[in-house]
Amino acid sequence: MSNIALAPQLDRRQFLVTTGVVAGGMALALSPADAATSPALPPPWAPDVAQGYEFTPWIEIAADDSVTVRVPNPESGNGTMTQIAMNVAEELGCAWEDIRVEIASIHRNYAENHVYTKGSLPFFGGHGTDKVRMAHTMRLGASARERLKAAAAARWQVPASEITAADSVLTHAASKRSLRYGEVAAEAASMSILAEPELKPQAEWTLIGKATPAKLSIPAIANGTAVYGIDVKLPGMVHAALKQVPVMGGRLKSFKADAVKHMPGVRAVIAIDPSNSRHSPVKDETSFGLGNSEAQHAVAVIADHFWQANMALERLPVEWDLGSGTHYRDHNDIYLGMASIRDVGEGKVVLKKGDVAAATGKRVVEGEYLSPYGENAVMEPLGGTALVTADACEVWCATQDTMQAFWVSVDETGLAPAQVKVHGTAMGGNFGRRTQAEDIRMAVAVARQYPGVPVKTIWTREEMFRQGRYRTPISTRFRAVLDDATGLPQAVSGDLCFGGDRPLFQLTQGYADPPYFNSGAIPNVNLTTINFPVHILNGAYRGPCFNSNAFITETFIDECAHAAGIDPVAYRLALLAKWENPWSDVLKLAAEKAGWGQKLPKGEGMGIAITNWPMATIPHFGSTMATVARVAVSKDGVLAVKRIDIAFDCGKVANADAVRAQIEGGTLFGLNMTLNEEVTIRNGAIVEGNYDEYPMLRMADSLPEIHIHFEALSGNDRFDLMGELPVGPIGPAVGNAIYSATGKRLRATPFRKQDLSWT
Amino acid sequence: MEEDTVTSASFTVNGQPQQVEAYSSTPLLWVLRDHLGMTGTKYGCGIAQCGACTVHVNGEAIRSCQVPLSGLAGADVTTIEGLAAHGGETLQRLWTEMNVPQCGYCQAGMLMEAADLLKKTPKPTDADIDAAMTNICRCGTYPRIRAAIKRAAGVAA
Repeated sequence: MSNIALAPQLDRRQFLVTTGVVAGGMALALSPADAATSPALPPPWAPDVAQGYEFTPWIEIAADDSVTVRVPNPESGNGTMTQIAMNVAEELGCAWEDIRVEIASIHRNYAENHVYTKGSLPFFGGHGTDKVRMAHTMRLGASARERLKAAAAARWQVPASEITAADSVLTHAASKRSLRYGEVAAEAASMSILAEPELKPQAEWTLIGKATPAKLSIPAIANGTAVYGIDVKLPGMVHAALKQVPVMGGRLKSFKADAVKHMPGVRAVIAIDPSNSRHSPVKDETSFGLGNSEAQHAVAVIADHFWQANMALERLPVEWDLGSGTHYRDHNDIYLGMASIRDVGEGKVVLKKGDVAAATGKRVVEGEYLSPYGENAVMEPLGGTALVTADACEVWCATQDTMQAFWVSVDETGLAPAQVKVHGTAMGGNFGRRTQAEDIRMAVAVARQYPGVPVKTIWTREEMFRQGRYRTPISTRFRAVLDDATGLPQAVSGDLCFGGDRPLFQLTQGYADPPYFNSGAIPNVNLTTINFPVHILNGAYRGPCFNSNAFITETFIDECAHAAGIDPVAYRLALLAKWENPWSDVLKLAAEKAGWGQKLPKGEGMGIAITNWPMATIPHFGSTMATVARVAVSKDGVLAVKRIDIAFDCGKVANADAVRAQIEGGTLFGLNMTLNEEVTIRNGAIVEGNYDEYPMLRMADSLPEIHIHFEALSGNDRFDLMGELPVGPIGPAVGNAIYSATGKRLRATPFRKQDLSWT
Repeated sequence: MEEDTVTSASFTVNGQPQQVEAYSSTPLLWVLRDHLGMTGTKYGCGIAQCGACTVHVNGEAIRSCQVPLSGLAGADVTTIEGLAAHGGETLQRLWTEMNVPQCGYCQAGMLMEAADLLKKTPKPTDADIDAAMTNICRCGTYPRIRAAIKRAAGVAA
């Protein structure tokens, strides 16, 4: 889903005068100033007021030299907005202290000729250093810098080419004159230049690849002034608590509003029926379509305060028609169904090389693997605030994909796009959960029924767990025939079944793309996929499907190595011999740094895994990572992951500390996924409702030391993504280490549900 | 039902006197957020699991989702908005300098918990940190939280 390339189509309009246009509505408070003294900045519900002079809807410079960069890609916690500000600042030549970032008000994109999406990927953060976006945002900075120079040149009556720009100061050395950016911003913003400048060569960069600034969002986070979706405050705003049908695919039969209408603060009790969504009057401009954003049957209580709304909702008598999903007594019914359909042999062939039937080796390695349903469990509950009238809709919300949120709001109300405004806020985690914006559709659907008043809908944690768009469960059978002489597979057959029926969340990354199967190292390969339709809805969960496939494939390859009696690192190197170097370099570095091969005490072991996201078949593409885990397992089966060593190649890094933070966090996310995470099912409904039933790693869980090694970076000219990748190799590395320590092979997650004891 | 009773309680938040009338069962979390408009304190789970709602009540770190309005009379409450004035500046500065938060949603609770730890245990060991910092961070910022607490305390990383 990430392999989308947009040609940079720069529109002259972006560089033309726009001082008449007021600033975007969203003003996420971001400043590098000290957290304790950071001044309060305008909240997202403040009226649109320009603070300075707008060079383009992306860049505004004020008289005090402050540079506001408006970014359509919201901050996910991975530093996307800060990175885009770095790209702009690199060419603009402003002092970093002068930089602020805001989430762009995406409705301007519709009103102003696609100013935020032309030449730039408009959606979520995983591509913060995406090549297209980087060049685009650097060009915006360069253009603004040249216009500042032109304005100074006009004032001084000297050629613009004699003026230099650095640290927010324009200097004419010959006449020893200088001006701050803020002093000429007004003229510069209305200045047009004859030709857009060339970007400076990488060798002259001073910020990108050199500086490692902390995220600009942090001071406001640290002093409590950051505004998340749940924090939006509007005059006269009321609150809604929501309950969707407990079994997906079911319907609302009836409810007795009279039973709760008298309760303090209650304003209205309403029902949501998906058939009331009015649909967009024009073709939507989303990246992935609106198909996975439909409303669910639901009831909601609207009250003055959320606590009142939720108390009334809990007491509201509701009858549901739960639908056919109830025939799944538990999750094992689904997993058995997946295994059965997988083994029928009618899967679609997704990779075929040679003839697997022709393999003749004596040693056969065979295994069945399973990854279960999981919940993104983002810390900030879903929801949103909407104000809907007969001819307008305005929404304030946390979204990973501002374009999706905008078009979902258009689609739910049926209003013309010009009548809809969407303001993004800070986001309390997403990991894919905020891509489809169905929570925003629900918020708009609620507000539509209480028109003229801003309504904030908040999902409870229980609603979050039971109305997820879950990690796609995957059931795979792998079979290898090993070559009698080399021990490497002569043939590999794989059959994979996805649980669910949303094609967008049935991805083969980590399954069909590893170089083992594509480089010719294994001459005969046959891989298939099929899906088992289930009423439970799937969604994007950090590294969709890859997070399962990486575990399954790298566990299976490890089993082949052990069956062949070959060291797992040496075995993988042999399988990578026909592939681009960085893979082997990454693998070797991780192993070397971990002290691979050293003698370990009984009950301890090391395991390794290597993966790429998002497309391993293309040389020098995406990011590749090898992870080594060292574990200790007590005789009674208590696991301690003691140390992790990670090597990677994403070409180059733009902000080394941002990359490091993603690797640390992503590794712990993947560790939690592997050790702990599973939502279970009873009579078609999700059982787990809160963190007490869905354990999460905490600081007391003897977390491993994580050692991150940068020396395998190839220097290939790309700054590839690091958000999803770390969740891939950690799980199989730990599982393979457990095998080394105990002889127990784990072919399913979560590990906490399995007996690791040994004698 | 008892939780249906409406109560009025007077207390202070970050030194400011406040009076709120609401369901006696209304948790301090929602009193702060909905009634007083102080949204720095976050709702994460409502059952004292995640710690995103941690504030100080009478000088003790506590999960505000578990403190009903009926128990607030006369209480002295400090929230993230008041942490800087209550000895939290160093932690807040290090949170920025060390690039601790990712999405940041849990971090108000983390900071309130960390400030409470350092007040009681100025030189915490790893075990002290583990015992005090039971909050959940989904982004996996735990290693940086630990490092920032240690640096604030001036103990070796």
